[in-house]
Amino acid sequence: MNTVLIAELVKLRYQLLWAKTRSRNGRIAIFLAGYILLVMLIALLTSGGFGAAMIAVRSGKAEMVARVALFALFVQALIATTILGFGMNAIFSETELRRYPLKSSERRIARHAIGIADPFWFLFLALELGLAVGFYVNGVGSFWLGLIATLALFVCNYLAARVLALMVDRVMQRKSGSFILIAVIFTVSMGPSLLLPVLKKNPAIVSASLAALRYTPPFGAAAAMVRTDAGALLGLGSVFCWVLGLAAALVALERRPPRQRVQAETTTMNWDGPMDRVAALFGPEDAPLVAHWLRFYARNNRFRILYMLSLPLMAFLTFNTSRRLGPNGLFAVALGTFACVCFLGTSRIAVNLFGYVGGAFRRYFLLPTDPAAALRTGSYASLMLGGSMLPIALLAWSIFAPYAFDPRMLFMLAGTGLTGLFVFHALGLWVTLYNPRRGNYSSSFGNDLSLGGNIVLLGGMVTCLALPQVLVLMMPAAVSPDNWWSVIPLALAGIGFYVVSLKHAGRMFVGRREKLLAVVEGKA
Amino acid sequence: MEMDAIRLTNMVKKYGPTVAVEDLSLTVRAGTMFGFLGPNGSGKSTTIGCMTGLLDPTSGEIELLGQRFTAENAAIKRRIGVMPETLGLFEPLYAHEFLAFVARMFGLDEITTRKRVTELLAALELTDAGKTLSEYSTGMRKRVAFAAAVIHSPEVLFLDEPFESIDPAGVSLMKQWLRRFTEQGRTVFITSHVLETVERVCQEVAIITKPGKLVWQGDITAFANEGAVSCGGQQFRALEPLFLHLTGERYADLNWL
Repeated sequence: MNTVLIAELVKLRYQLLWAKTRSRNGRIAIFLAGYILLVMLIALLTSGGFGAAMIAVRSGKAEMVARVALFALFVQALIATTILGFGMNAIFSETELRRYPLKSSERRIARHAIGIADPFWFLFLALELGLAVGFYVNGVGSFWLGLIATLALFVCNYLAARVLALMVDRVMQRKSGSFILIAVIFTVSMGPSLLLPVLKKNPAIVSASLAALRYTPPFGAAAAMVRTDAGALLGLGSVFCWVLGLAAALVALERRPPRQRVQAETTTMNWDGPMDRVAALFGPEDAPLVAHWLRFYARNNRFRILYMLSLPLMAFLTFNTSRRLGPNGLFAVALGTFACVCFLGTSRIAVNLFGYVGGAFRRYFLLPTDPAAALRTGSYASLMLGGSMLPIALLAWSIFAPYAFDPRMLFMLAGTGLTGLFVFHALGLWVTLYNPRRGNYSSSFGNDLSLGGNIVLLGGMVTCLALPQVLVLMMPAAVSPDNWWSVIPLALAGIGFYVVSLKHAGRMFVGRREKLLAVVEGKA
Repeated sequence: MEMDAIRLTNMVKKYGPTVAVEDLSLTVRAGTMFGFLGPNGSGKSTTIGCMTGLLDPTSGEIELLGQRFTAENAAIKRRIGVMPETLGLFEPLYAHEFLAFVARMFGLDEITTRKRVTELLAALELTDAGKTLSEYSTGMRKRVAFAAAVIHSPEVLFLDEPFESIDPAGVSLMKQWLRRFTEQGRTVFITSHVLETVERVCQEVAIITKPGKLVWQGDITAFANEGAVSCGGQQFRALEPLFLHLTGERYADLNWL
């Protein structure tokens, strides 16, 4: 095993991270990420892991609390990696690693050693370590068993995320992949809500399920952390079995190349497709560019997944977060989620319009048109695609919402939807200009948004989800259908912000093109 | 009087404190096949970038087809064709979609667009309509970029490294087209490291060194007729020795290599 070279590659991953500090944007991103990470780390270690262990020991339910905490962490890591793409960026591809004198097995180890050495995974490790140390300090369990269990669980979590990601990738290679994925997500997300009444009525099922869960990695690690008897060794053994099983599954999946979707061999050239016809609405000058952007979005696998997932995901969030908010809660939460549904699908490209075009960015300046047209038309295409979700969401609301039909509700939902659509796209223009990031158009996984992109997207979603909940508790009149007119100024302000942003960003685009060029071509 | 197709006057391009092009003045007559040569990093692509609207020169003036050129001069852009260094292809598109997009942007009508796209794809053997540009080989991608540069019959054609990665048959075809192009009075501005090809196709060359400093400009048609070109009191029978003489020959003795 060429451990020296593998260690050098892991080191190189951090050298590349450090090299980003050479640019101003990189310095800001690294500073903020490092600062946030440090603060979160301290907060999590103290209040999360250590604190949870202390409370668990005092309450006499150490193992139960450890199980719940570790299970939640395990699932959170899987969700964050598979859906949001954190910790899944491939720093070096298999092809890139082939240039080094490494055997196939060593390349695999190098790739995963680099993958697991991601700061994202260290956050989970820190929390789990905090829990293990917390138990030991409070007189429960063995330090060494806890440490080994934590490390094994950490590896297991990483492997599970990789296996899951590969499986999702394989499913997406199939023609019906998007539908299968949506069905699975629906089942997984709605399952607990549907199962809860059944479990309440049949406690025997609960104990049987708990017994079965004993053999899952988080439960096994929990036993190893809090016990010192044979149960601890059994728990540890089960985690190791999972590590081996998942490693074998990962190797098997990586060895079997994905079955490429068989594309129809087009022998005739399609000159006037639906995209061209839609784009023609924008006039002869902008139409070819709009059509180009529509194709750019529509042929992106991640856009397609996110676009199709946005409505079910938002429906799930609406129903789940509104449970404790009273009879008007569902509508209040929907006011926020309607805003999200209009931008979630297009978000990745909309906040980084040129980050995925690579060297083709030059083309926009060679065309005999106002160079800002590239920015403008990219935003128009995204607006159209995002906006197309609004009537579908309104129709779904009319059919499924447990309220008597009230046009005022539909009006308000349309209003917040439009506000979200325009405000997000306005912010997307600024992030595109001032915080772009070079991304891989065809990558299936990994969060490749810039810091600004993440702030706009995640911050936007958190705001849209939290604000209506705050309003329903503190200012219920603001989210009441009686005040249906209140969304008019909101939507107008959103549209106004977008129009002003488009005008100013268009002017600044030409001036910033050399900086953008350096970023999108990987020279910055 | 014969018009200059390209005229650069004291053009300077700086990236912060770094000078990429230093006081470059250059004139290219219409109807010429012009080679623009220089070592790696000497500022060739930066110069083309400034001449085509991708970059703004820090100072100096650019004239194309007798008119002052800036990045926002769409009227001039409509009369020039560019094959950029990075090719500038939208990879998710099919070749015909990409070429049709470029043709429409340059104002060709629907019928002409379809006719020219079909003819170019056939001539350049890009008939694999089931593949997107991302699935094309480097040589095929280069052919598509070349087709995009010529589809609107420009008066001045800028080609940045056009012959690299293209097979001999493709290069031969491109050379034929370029010769016909200049015979019609149009101008071709080429950067290339393949000096043998430049020697055969170009009538005139300019050689620059770092940082974008012109060291020689002259007629090289003598090379094609077994003649010689004189420079600094020396006679050169081929472009390569002339180029190495002007840009400085390098010799490093790496005895382990």
